[in-house]
Amino acid sequence: MACSGPELALALAAMTDAQPSFSSGIAASLPIVMGYFPIAFSFGIAATQAGFSGLEAFALSLIIYAGASQFLALALMSSGAPVLVAAFTLIAMNLRHVLYGPALLRAAGTKADTRHAWAWAWGLTDEVFGQALGALARGQVFSERYMFGLGLGAYAAWVSGTVVGAYAGGGALDAWPAVSAGLGFMLPALFLALLLSILSRRQVPVIAVAGLVTIGATLSLGSTSGILLGMLAGAIVGLVRR
Amino acid sequence: MNWELLTVALLAGAANWVFRALPILARTDRLAAGGWLERFLSATGPAAIATLFVAAILPALTPDPVRIAPVLAGTVAVLAVYLGRRSVVLATLAGALAHGATFWLVG
Repeated sequence: MACSGPELALALAAMTDAQPSFSSGIAASLPIVMGYFPIAFSFGIAATQAGFSGLEAFALSLIIYAGASQFLALALMSSGAPVLVAAFTLIAMNLRHVLYGPALLRAAGTKADTRHAWAWAWGLTDEVFGQALGALARGQVFSERYMFGLGLGAYAAWVSGTVVGAYAGGGALDAWPAVSAGLGFMLPALFLALLLSILSRRQVPVIAVAGLVTIGATLSLGSTSGILLGMLAGAIVGLVRR
Repeated sequence: MNWELLTVALLAGAANWVFRALPILARTDRLAAGGWLERFLSATGPAAIATLFVAAILPALTPDPVRIAPVLAGTVAVLAVYLGRRSVVLATLAGALAHGATFWLVG
């Protein structure tokens, strides 16, 4: 149907001001779904290769829902790390998520409704945060329904990918060594990509010190000590420098 | 069910919910920026990720060209795709693809 210039402008203004729906959030999650499913699939395989059951892999994805720290949980628990050391390491790793909500709300404006944030904020992973922030930067209005759709699509892909990977099992790729090698590189690739996504001039000393201390402590004391001391050294550098 | 694993998962999952939801519910975006807590929190994430990247890549660093070539190819692919597309997901998948393809070629 044709409409005049002012009508079109009004319609566009209404579209711009309209709060994006749950289904538009689901649609926006599709690129994340495409990326999450294979990574979660490789997590399901890695979990069964490390000796955990499909149910345990499913529980990790459902309860933790943070890719890199789930892979780390497998490495720590299968190497016999104490429960509190493992939990502390995973918690320290995800501290960065503390900054996502405030950053999102700064972009959304002070009038943004956060009544249901206790539920949708669970889905605020690195990629969901990036997608939501990008939409706000492009002029989209903030809405909790959109955040629910975006988060749910990504969460469903992560959990279902894990289940399919765990069902396929550790031996599923024995005949495909190149695929197995590629999936094995998924974790370092994910860490490197995450590192690039948060890289700033301000954080270079933190990253350099954390990396160097990790190398030194891993070679002299072992991998678990290397991880803990590296994180601690980097965080202290961030604290003392202004 | 491995109860130690479940305990770690519940502790890490509860912390994740607190990290993701609490700052929004408390509207910390309205607080002043630049305090010691914000400096510590903003450094902990990069420090953790840098540490984990080094820990994950360290065992693969070897003088054996057959073992190191897929690692180098995967790393270059992550850097190239991230710089070109600014997507963590695409860069991760490209890194895994380049690593697997190089493994197949040199293996």
